[in-house]
Amino acid sequence: MNQTEQDDFVISFDDRILVTGATGFIGSRLVGSLLEHGFRNLRCFTRHSSEPGRVKWLSGCNHGEARVEVFKGNLLSAADCAEATRDVAAIFHLAAGTGEKSFPSAFMNSVVTTRNLLEANLNNRRLKRFVNVSSFAVYSNKEKRRWNVLDENSPVEMRPELRGEAYCFAKVKQDQLVAEYGRKHGIPWVILRPGVVYGPGNRAITGRVGIDTFGLFLHLGGSNPIPFTYVENCAEAILLAGLRKGTEGEVFNIVDDDLPSSRKFLALYKRTVRRFPSFYVPHALSYGLCYLWERYSNWSGGQLPLAFNRRRWHAYWKKTHYSNEKLKQRAGWTPKVPTPEGLMRYLESCRNGEGHA
Amino acid sequence: MLRVAIVGCGKIADAHAAEIQRIKGCEIVGVSDSEPLMAQQLYERFPVKAYFSDLTELLEKAEPHVVHITTPPESHYPIAKLCLESGCHVYVEKPFTLVEREAQELIALAQKTDRKITVGHDGQFRHAMRRMRALVQTGFLGGRPVHMESYYCYQFGDSGYAAALLGDKQHWVRRLPGKLLHNVISHGIARIAEFLTSVSPKVIAYGFASPLLKRMGEKDIVDELRVIISEDEHTTAYFTFSSQMRPSVEQFRVYGPQNGLMVDLDQETLIKLRGKKFTSYAEKFVPPVILAKQYIGNLTRNVGAFLARDFHMTSAKKYLIESFYRSIVEGSAVPIPYREILLTARLMEAIFLQLGDKHLAAPAQPALELETRLTTT
Repeated sequence: MNQTEQDDFVISFDDRILVTGATGFIGSRLVGSLLEHGFRNLRCFTRHSSEPGRVKWLSGCNHGEARVEVFKGNLLSAADCAEATRDVAAIFHLAAGTGEKSFPSAFMNSVVTTRNLLEANLNNRRLKRFVNVSSFAVYSNKEKRRWNVLDENSPVEMRPELRGEAYCFAKVKQDQLVAEYGRKHGIPWVILRPGVVYGPGNRAITGRVGIDTFGLFLHLGGSNPIPFTYVENCAEAILLAGLRKGTEGEVFNIVDDDLPSSRKFLALYKRTVRRFPSFYVPHALSYGLCYLWERYSNWSGGQLPLAFNRRRWHAYWKKTHYSNEKLKQRAGWTPKVPTPEGLMRYLESCRNGEGHA
Repeated sequence: MLRVAIVGCGKIADAHAAEIQRIKGCEIVGVSDSEPLMAQQLYERFPVKAYFSDLTELLEKAEPHVVHITTPPESHYPIAKLCLESGCHVYVEKPFTLVEREAQELIALAQKTDRKITVGHDGQFRHAMRRMRALVQTGFLGGRPVHMESYYCYQFGDSGYAAALLGDKQHWVRRLPGKLLHNVISHGIARIAEFLTSVSPKVIAYGFASPLLKRMGEKDIVDELRVIISEDEHTTAYFTFSSQMRPSVEQFRVYGPQNGLMVDLDQETLIKLRGKKFTSYAEKFVPPVILAKQYIGNLTRNVGAFLARDFHMTSAKKYLIESFYRSIVEGSAVPIPYREILLTARLMEAIFLQLGDKHLAAPAQPALELETRLTTT
């Protein structure tokens, strides 16, 4: 990479960068992107329980000019956070409590860990960026009309605890915390909110398309575009928006171009990966079912958990368009992997049963 | 209005808060966690009046009548002691304490201060367990239990907690005397303890790490446990804990001199096991019909409980909490006798002693005979 590109960034190629969640689906691609751009001083925070193969892959990146240090620790430990963030100029914080159904667990693994990292950097004068990777899950979409454009100005869920989704609650609180530390302590933050990150190794069909219930797939998405972002495009976006000059204190949504509809994606998936029975639930009906489920859940005191409710319907199944204009204009990002190619790679990996790198 | 507080705002605290808010005549006046953010998140999601990061401050400012302790087990004893000394009634999540001595001290302190204390063995109050208890009290077994079998299985793959434990060599569960077993077997042991009358049951324990854990390089965790318990050469019991057997069951069977009972906690079913046999071929044909009828009866009850909004996954916890509160308000007996709490602690300690530090394939020492007198309520 050349000097011109380095001038666009808030740190130099030799400055130390900390990546949390470095063995994860996006994190491992981000490490690859950073090295590709010429950043050569990386510290990768991994858990003690991280899959050894992925840790080995990270260690293998440490060759030539690139220094890739694997730091094993626990983000719940203030001491580990202090040691891991020593002398870092930028932090990409990707580690989070994904897949957690319990609110306290998701909160602890997303918010308490983030607070520990932020606290560890209160006196870090080298720190130029704290890049927090959030999610589309934080957006409410409730007050917007159908086919509205969801962008960075869209309202965030005000009562995330009522979504019945631990991940949403944790991510909303995490974003609030980062902004609060920026306001109170001058931590220079950027928040990235990817849509549905897909690519080889992530085999699950996103809930925005539908849900598998008792062997029958309920197709809920219909004609909705699915806000996909191919994992390498996403990693590139995180890098560019995170380190570009002039993005401090900004939120960026990450979503690719040429998004397929849920119906198109499902047909493609069935044709390429495997066939299974599915049943299309029209939007009016899915809204009604979510409403009834919510009413019953509240009436019964949670005998059925609040897994389906109107807030969730608005967030995931309402007809919505997505914009990536801000990311393109402010961070100079364009998706390197076009959606048709990304989908082909993804579906082939699903068919072959591949795990991620 | 009963003023309730929760100390420790992790995963299990959610279940407590959810059930407490369904109980009339009480309010959550405060929650506390040494991590302020955790206390705050519970406060924000439930009708809680205040949150604290300091237990003393909670006790002073919120002035609770009852404190639920949902912290990791190593802190149960000091927190419960402080709460009792401060004049609060105490609900301690399982396991009650780390060692039996602490259990004895807490119960003695509760009695001395005229406060009540209980342990979170809510599994004892599942629908099927309550029906079983009622049948036993009517004399269905025909006398003292002759033999019991308690199964408590655990699937690592289904639990985020297990993943966290196996991946973290510093996990708090590893610091418990019985490690994983310490945190999970008390439900299954308490079922046996309820029907033992002796204060000195014999315990023979055999535990090992499953091949699965060995392949993962795990050396510290015992996830396969078999225990024989006997008292007075009259009543015996087997306890099985397994992470590997399938189906992964949670069952309790009790056999008396005349009849037996089988509770399946997963399916919430109670089956009467008839002592008398039918003549000749009738034994092959009639009992399956009787069993089928019983299972249909269980199905009907379960559906009825669901329709009556009394079939929550944690409805037994609500029942236990409600019963405990009633015992406080009305001055009646606690839902779990102190004798049962102490005997459970004693049996667990005997098991962990025999497994020893290195989890030998054979018992580390001869069967332990417990001689200390149990305190009774």
